[in-house]
Amino acid sequence: MPSMLNQAALATLEQALNAALALDPHTATRLQRLDGKVIALAIEGTGITLYLQPLDGTLRLMGAWDGPIDTTLRGAPFSLLRMGSGRTGEGLFRGGVEIEGDVELGQQIQRVFEKIDIDWEEHLARLCGDVIAHQLGNVVRDLRDWMARSSDHLQQDVADYLQEERELLPVDWEVEAFYEQVDTLRSDVDRLEARLKRLEKKVTHRGE
Amino acid sequence: MSNQQDTTHFGFRQVPKQEKAAKVAEVFHSVAAKYDLMNDLMSLGIHRLWKRYTIEMSGVRRGQRVLDIAGGTGDLAGKFAELVGPDGEVVLADINESMLKVGRARLVDRGQIGNLRYAQANAECLPFPDNHFDLITIAFGLRNVTDKDKALASMFRILKPGGRLLVLEFSKPVTPGLGPIYDQYSFKLLPFMGKLVANDSESYKYLAESIRMHPDQDTLKGMMEAVGFESCDYHNLTGGIVALHRGFKF
Repeated sequence: MPSMLNQAALATLEQALNAALALDPHTATRLQRLDGKVIALAIEGTGITLYLQPLDGTLRLMGAWDGPIDTTLRGAPFSLLRMGSGRTGEGLFRGGVEIEGDVELGQQIQRVFEKIDIDWEEHLARLCGDVIAHQLGNVVRDLRDWMARSSDHLQQDVADYLQEERELLPVDWEVEAFYEQVDTLRSDVDRLEARLKRLEKKVTHRGE
Repeated sequence: MSNQQDTTHFGFRQVPKQEKAAKVAEVFHSVAAKYDLMNDLMSLGIHRLWKRYTIEMSGVRRGQRVLDIAGGTGDLAGKFAELVGPDGEVVLADINESMLKVGRARLVDRGQIGNLRYAQANAECLPFPDNHFDLITIAFGLRNVTDKDKALASMFRILKPGGRLLVLEFSKPVTPGLGPIYDQYSFKLLPFMGKLVANDSESYKYLAESIRMHPDQDTLKGMMEAVGFESCDYHNLTGGIVALHRGFKF
């Protein structure tokens, strides 16, 4: 049975999209050129496909469409795509998005989406329902924690390996000591240069 | 039994066939001005989502020709006019003069002109040429039509080959436990709200009763197939309180 909650979520998302678009006349003009085209957004792993249709500078959003499709964009869920950066408002697409059909149209709509600053995660959660949204949320959180932990660990491990095991890179205190020596050398050279200049002056005075 | 041929239902009452149209007209003359407000109240605003879903299932495109029968206050017709664009055409048809006036005034007030036409027409004998429309919709209208088979046949005639009919109508709740709640709601609360808002409980009592007399999902699907529609299917919305039927002419 088609869910009226999905219809409500789509209507809300559509409103949010168009409110964001209304703030950006340039993007609206860009959309005018795509008028009437249908773009399918296949969100991998959720079984959800959304259909977008630019109409008079606004975007129409549908959960079903059985007419011709001009282009299909296929990618992982928005939240997974944005994951890791921890920043919001990066738009819908980052990383691997497959474009089928009219490639130029796909790129144009991708550019439009990069400009739109709305909370995709929240809207996606409403679309795929509580359970999936929660699971997706857990996956996202787990992955984010894991990546944060493992990237710290990895950094440490690599550093240890190169510094202690292979002695390819100096450890911190060695670097500090080296820098200090370089500083001392630089000061010494400066002092020597000053002294040479003074001696040089003396020599030329005597010669006169 | 002898006069079964000559009477039809008007809510739970039997009335002579030729009187039903006039009685339905009376109801809608009475509710026209507050029809939208009542729709929002009666469905808790969900009718907007039902209509949104209907538009999704229409697959309507730029340049197409659409007929919205019993289009009432122009909800669907207005949206279709945006979708078909300046090269398309949308005809808003309603048998009821009051409803049509309200609908036309509302669309004109919104600045929607140019690709919209209006026709006061009876769904049983639609005044349009054969094979004329890409899409025909009738939302919450079919149950008020006296001879539904005749109306469906008339729609089939004016639909282009490849075109589709969408019937959005109250139907039979299928979700367990929903039936009794829905009964209480429609026979007690609905006429009461009708009285409060539109000062007309009789009209809303008719609306509730007419919903019960309307054929259920499979019966309506059968009726569509009987007049020639193919690939017919239906989607239950909100537990089957409403169903969207779809049929194609090939």
